[in-house]
Amino acid sequence: MNRYDLAGLQAAFHDHLLDRPSTIAGEIADGGRIDAARRLHIYHHAYRARLLDNLRDAYEKTWTYLGDDAFDAAAHAFVDANPPAHRNLRWHGAGFPEWLAMRFPDDRDIAELALIDWQLRRAFDGPDADPLTAGALATTDWDTAGFRFVPTLCLAPLHTNSTAIWHALDQEQSPPAAQALPAAAWLMIWRKAWQPHFRAIDAGEHAALAQLLAGATFAQLCAALGTRLGDAAAAAQAGTWLGRWLQDGLIAGLTHPPR
Amino acid sequence: MTRSPAPIRAPSPGFGLGLRPAHYPDFLGAPQRVDWLEIISDNYLVPGGKPLAMLDAVLARYPVAMHGVSLSIGSTDGIDRQYLADLGKLARRVQPLWISDHLCWTGVGGHNAHDLLPLPYTEEALRLVVDHVGQVQDALGQRILLENVSSYLEYRSSDMREWEFLRRVAEEADCLLLLDVNNIYVSSINHGFDAREFLRYLPAHRVQQIHLAGHSDHGDYIVDTHDHPVAEPVWTLYREACRLFGEVATMIERDDNLPELAELVAELDRARTIASEVQQACAAAA
Repeated sequence: MNRYDLAGLQAAFHDHLLDRPSTIAGEIADGGRIDAARRLHIYHHAYRARLLDNLRDAYEKTWTYLGDDAFDAAAHAFVDANPPAHRNLRWHGAGFPEWLAMRFPDDRDIAELALIDWQLRRAFDGPDADPLTAGALATTDWDTAGFRFVPTLCLAPLHTNSTAIWHALDQEQSPPAAQALPAAAWLMIWRKAWQPHFRAIDAGEHAALAQLLAGATFAQLCAALGTRLGDAAAAAQAGTWLGRWLQDGLIAGLTHPPR
Repeated sequence: MTRSPAPIRAPSPGFGLGLRPAHYPDFLGAPQRVDWLEIISDNYLVPGGKPLAMLDAVLARYPVAMHGVSLSIGSTDGIDRQYLADLGKLARRVQPLWISDHLCWTGVGGHNAHDLLPLPYTEEALRLVVDHVGQVQDALGQRILLENVSSYLEYRSSDMREWEFLRRVAEEADCLLLLDVNNIYVSSINHGFDAREFLRYLPAHRVQQIHLAGHSDHGDYIVDTHDHPVAEPVWTLYREACRLFGEVATMIERDDNLPELAELVAELDRARTIASEVQQACAAAA
């Protein structure tokens, strides 16, 4: 009988797991209390069950929001379209929010909720950093200082009240009806100590953070704000943001461009 | 006068448990009647945060063994050098008792099924595994342990039994064995072989560790689920393993339906008792 070599056998087995045409059944020994088809089915089922469990675990609030049937249907379709390629199972769900956005184009709250779930998970075991305290800024040269933010910081646009939905689900309450936000907003996720955090920020705070993340100094931020708000209001606004960022544990260090 | 060769396996550190996040407070809050812990290496191949902080705290209190699930030692894709480098980096942090993974493959063609898939027991598979073990041991600078997996099918192309394959891999790759007694039992039911024959064939001096775990009975087959206490036939088989292999580091794997730590410690006490009874019986017979 013509047999596969090992590479061919593994490819055929893998095709079977992925529901692709496969001739693996002819390679499985008969005998015992169950037949070859049931033996293969155990692996076929285990593959899907494990990946579904992993997505349920990573997207817990999204799962609760959609319910078992809708979530599982979406998850199975995602698994079929995205066989895992990474060695670590934790990364398999990385593309799920984007995929949900395509599957539910008229319900942006679903993909946004999934993004919150995913980014909280990512922040949980993301890179460490020790946040600066206000006291550490006492001798700062504000003419040249910029900020280095904690590496878990992530910003993403928000179009719906998905943060309110997430909080309601977290409190095991009925979520509010999904609705579009009246003004542009952004999701900010990061980790403080061991605990991931998130909050929605307005376009002004997002623009300030984006400017600083791009390398601007705090003085440059204040100057840019001053042209719009006037110097006094700009200083007050920038000071308010800085206080909140320090309180949130967002700033990991100061940067000083070379003189 | 001839010197006896250095033993291949390290002395047993005793009786351990798998470290699971739900039990972090128990292990860090008070001493437990547990000699060592086994981590799932893959769960700590992360950039930072609580998992690595907890791991560091545990390392200050317990010896730790590293147990991986993604080495895919039998895949024709070859060894993933990045995964191996990540494992080596974690090993430098942990300074583990030893590093183990499974005698299986987990994917091919750049994909990963995240399951422990069985190999055919052929010369071709043997040569591939031996070559891959050599690469891994060279990179990590130490012998690794390979664990027998539970399986639900066998290939027509196999021309040796699982225990022959396992023994030849261990001897020809010069590696150690992590004997999962529950997996032997599960596979013996699913394939209809004598589990004691499996045990008797293995090279005792390479059995570094034993896993015990629970399984789920589906009537005409059983599945290695790690969600129940260790079953009676597995305890019986463990007693036989103790008789054959002497003092071997033994731990209980529990992943689902995780009970209070005290329940697992009590279950581990049963392993201690069995091992002690066998040792006393052997000493009396000697």
